[in-house]
Amino acid sequence: MQLSPLGCTAICGLILGTPLINAQSLSARIDQFVAAKPDYAKKAAARSSDSEFVRRINLDLCGVTPSTVDARAFLADPAPDKRLKLIDKLLASEGFVRHLVDTFDVLWMDRRADKHVKRGEWLEFLRASFAANKPYDQLVSEILSADGSDPKMRAAARFYLDREGEPHLITKDVSRLFLGMNLQCAQCHDHPLVDAYKQDHYYGIYAFLSRSFLFADKGAKQSIFAEKGEGEVSYQSVFVAKVTKNTGPRIPDRPLLDEPKLEKGQEYVVPYKPGEKPQPKYSRRAQLAKEITSPANPRFARAAANRFWFLMMGRGIVHSVDLDHQDNPPSHPELLDELAKEFAAKKFDIRAYVREIVSSETYQRSSEPPKGQEVEPRDFAVYPLRPLTPEQLALSMMQATGMLEVERKKLGAKATEKAVYDQAQKAVQTFVGLFGSPAGEPFDPTAYEATLAQSLYLRNGDLIRDWLAPRPGSLTQRLADLKEPAALAEELYLSVLTRPPSVEEQKDVADFLAKRTDRPAAIQDLVWALLTSAEFRFNH
Amino acid sequence: MKPFYACNSLEHAVSRRHFLTGSAAGLGALGFADMIRASGEIERRNKRVLVIYLAGGVSQLETWDPKPGTNTGGPFQAIPTNVTGVHICELLPHTARHMHRLALIRGINTNMDDHGGGAYIMMTGRRRNPGESYPHLGAVMSKLLGDENNPLPGYIHITPGSGNGGFNRGDAAFLGPRYASVTLPDGNPPANLSRPNTLSELADAQRNDLRERLNNRFMQTRRSADTEAYTTSYDQAAQVMQRRSIFDLSREPAHLRERYGNHDFGRHCLLARRLLENGVTFAKVSHSNYDTHHENFDFHIEQLGEFDRTFATLLDDLAQRGMLESTLVVVMSEFGRTPTINRNLGRDHWSRAWSIAAAGSGIQGGAVVGRTNDNGTAVVDRQVNGGHLFHTYFRALGLNPTRNHYAGGRPIPMADPQASAISEILS
Repeated sequence: MQLSPLGCTAICGLILGTPLINAQSLSARIDQFVAAKPDYAKKAAARSSDSEFVRRINLDLCGVTPSTVDARAFLADPAPDKRLKLIDKLLASEGFVRHLVDTFDVLWMDRRADKHVKRGEWLEFLRASFAANKPYDQLVSEILSADGSDPKMRAAARFYLDREGEPHLITKDVSRLFLGMNLQCAQCHDHPLVDAYKQDHYYGIYAFLSRSFLFADKGAKQSIFAEKGEGEVSYQSVFVAKVTKNTGPRIPDRPLLDEPKLEKGQEYVVPYKPGEKPQPKYSRRAQLAKEITSPANPRFARAAANRFWFLMMGRGIVHSVDLDHQDNPPSHPELLDELAKEFAAKKFDIRAYVREIVSSETYQRSSEPPKGQEVEPRDFAVYPLRPLTPEQLALSMMQATGMLEVERKKLGAKATEKAVYDQAQKAVQTFVGLFGSPAGEPFDPTAYEATLAQSLYLRNGDLIRDWLAPRPGSLTQRLADLKEPAALAEELYLSVLTRPPSVEEQKDVADFLAKRTDRPAAIQDLVWALLTSAEFRFNH
Repeated sequence: MKPFYACNSLEHAVSRRHFLTGSAAGLGALGFADMIRASGEIERRNKRVLVIYLAGGVSQLETWDPKPGTNTGGPFQAIPTNVTGVHICELLPHTARHMHRLALIRGINTNMDDHGGGAYIMMTGRRRNPGESYPHLGAVMSKLLGDENNPLPGYIHITPGSGNGGFNRGDAAFLGPRYASVTLPDGNPPANLSRPNTLSELADAQRNDLRERLNNRFMQTRRSADTEAYTTSYDQAAQVMQRRSIFDLSREPAHLRERYGNHDFGRHCLLARRLLENGVTFAKVSHSNYDTHHENFDFHIEQLGEFDRTFATLLDDLAQRGMLESTLVVVMSEFGRTPTINRNLGRDHWSRAWSIAAAGSGIQGGAVVGRTNDNGTAVVDRQVNGGHLFHTYFRALGLNPTRNHYAGGRPIPMADPQASAISEILS
């Protein structure tokens, strides 16, 4: 059984007469699809340095830069397969789960305030799901199936309940998040700019939801997402006067849902009366989760594959990720097909799929373009610069300044991963307020803006000032203990920027310290300058 | 063929290519700036807005639309103003002498009696709908009228009391955080405006110098619009720190401070004028609190006593500085108050027949539009809603309200397409 990968490929290729590409690992196939574009070799950045890689992979998988100790160990490790080993270690870590929770909480709830479901319970539902590596389709299915009445699945109902059960809002978000179709414009008319997005698409999804409403269950003292057994959907375009259309539930480009015909008056097990929770014999909404995640709906796997690609690569193969239509074709159509097929074939195993993406050479390219080359982001020839999310920024600043380590020390025997990061939550929330998108607005990680409030905070804010105060285990304390400027520069650059300083930078540090008579304050100012640099602010 | 689309089709054509890839946010904005230039609106940029927000809902009957001698009129008389035939409540004697500068809109029906919902209509010109969020007037104006070289925030909200200051990202909705409001509670300067005490000016310069050296090195090979925006935001902060004296009212002459009034509202209005004078596009001053479910009349005597003299001084001061004709001034609330007087001598929330006042840029002084019936319980002539008001503000500032914003490439009319400007009060 111990055939070498190359041998296997060659044999399978020969025997089955299929292209060699099919038998290789997905990560190798990614590289081949991407490299097939003309001039790719000329445009492609070199392989990232170990420093670039270790910073990037920690940010992308765990949402925080590596600790000084971990970075130093990785850089010193001579093993040729150390990148793969690190990927596997991080994928198995609590940090990966935590980062997925942060990412999907923002993606699915848009930082809405919690009203009907406590945010903590929702986060715990996500945590348990990602920790168990729950298949992605199952997770989505659970969220779209929960109505809030089953205590075990109450948290999953937050998607519906904290949108106040508003069918239009849910229609827009379900199509945007799970089908890669931003149908917002199609509520009132066929999309004016996207020929492929029709009002029929919008109302087909809306029809799964139009009978549902938020019901205040007085007995259980909670709201649930209830549903009537009747009510048809009709709509008019604001462009076309006096033409009324009707539709039943329907996923875009799929046939109309085949529904049981119930006689009028026979729709209910428990009839609809004000103040009582109705129970219809047939639930339209119950079909939604099934129809969305069904293998017969190729958009789901495609949107999912593209979404995780986007999270790791900073750009979708279809880009923007919610504008998948014929006039906005994928940059690499065959690759996207392949990814969607593989993700689905591996039962939407998130870890396995992400592992293939980040193991590819495509992911591991440097963010420095080759000299003289204008590179389009859609070529995936150079890793893009991406601003850290508010969560990544807060945690990475705490990592760099040693504050996570300080919290760990303070907790002593109780210092689990979770306990340490719980301690960091207050700072994270401050950063979310300052750097995050407003509640209810979808977060677009590719739309970056710097504000005055942010830069005043970074310059003069007391929280960052406090992180720079020396204390046992903190970076400024460790630096104060290093007498040699060269050693100090090494510890400083490794801790904040995850790389050793250049010769020029060593000199900068030495000069800076020589200029100043107040060494402890000078050390704080050095750390501040690195923390506020563009190199720190962006994932690269 | 595309169906005819009510909004500007030229902009569709321009943005379609970018829209298809979802990148209109950046590129569409360029096209938009070009269009402003092409239409000559760039010359109208030297305009600004001041909103005096009488929080809680001022009574229209005790201000702009008195009904003395009726069952709803209350105890106060109407007084003549310096515009023949226009009467306002006797609680506004100083304001009455500025009627030639003021226009009154007396036929407002916003049909929303909830504080939050009413405020939303007055700030965005739209009714609140789940899943939709529209930018505040201040964010919109900050984008359309703001000078991008001015380091100050475009939209500043001065609130009474020592509440939470800071940065209100939601106000700008899809326009982006650059246009969101900064709250100055009790008129205090923005957070983190001063260098920490423990950091000398020299040390601050040295650490920034090192930061810039690092950035230059990094950006030699890896430069993007984002890294550029990030590094220049530190320069913006430095400029605002240097100009922090504009938040300092002690720089104003004592006699002027005295005329504005020795109370929070007076100080806040004076600060607003200083900010507008220094390049802030939109200032909102809240005066609190007019939510008079009890003792409506006593409260209005007290509150309007502060408002009246300060407001008159403000109009004078703006006019004397030559700023009034380029500054749109609006006095508004989230709604008015019930004509019916309740058993606690209060008036309750009322949005179906109420008034606001405007002055300055583009406003026809002395104009009165809209009419309520004899005891103020309904609008009988020229009824308008929040959408009409929004259109009117645009026109008063020389802007076209029928254009679109673009949110991720999606066209969104700047003002409700079902409403239009109240041309009777425009000059």
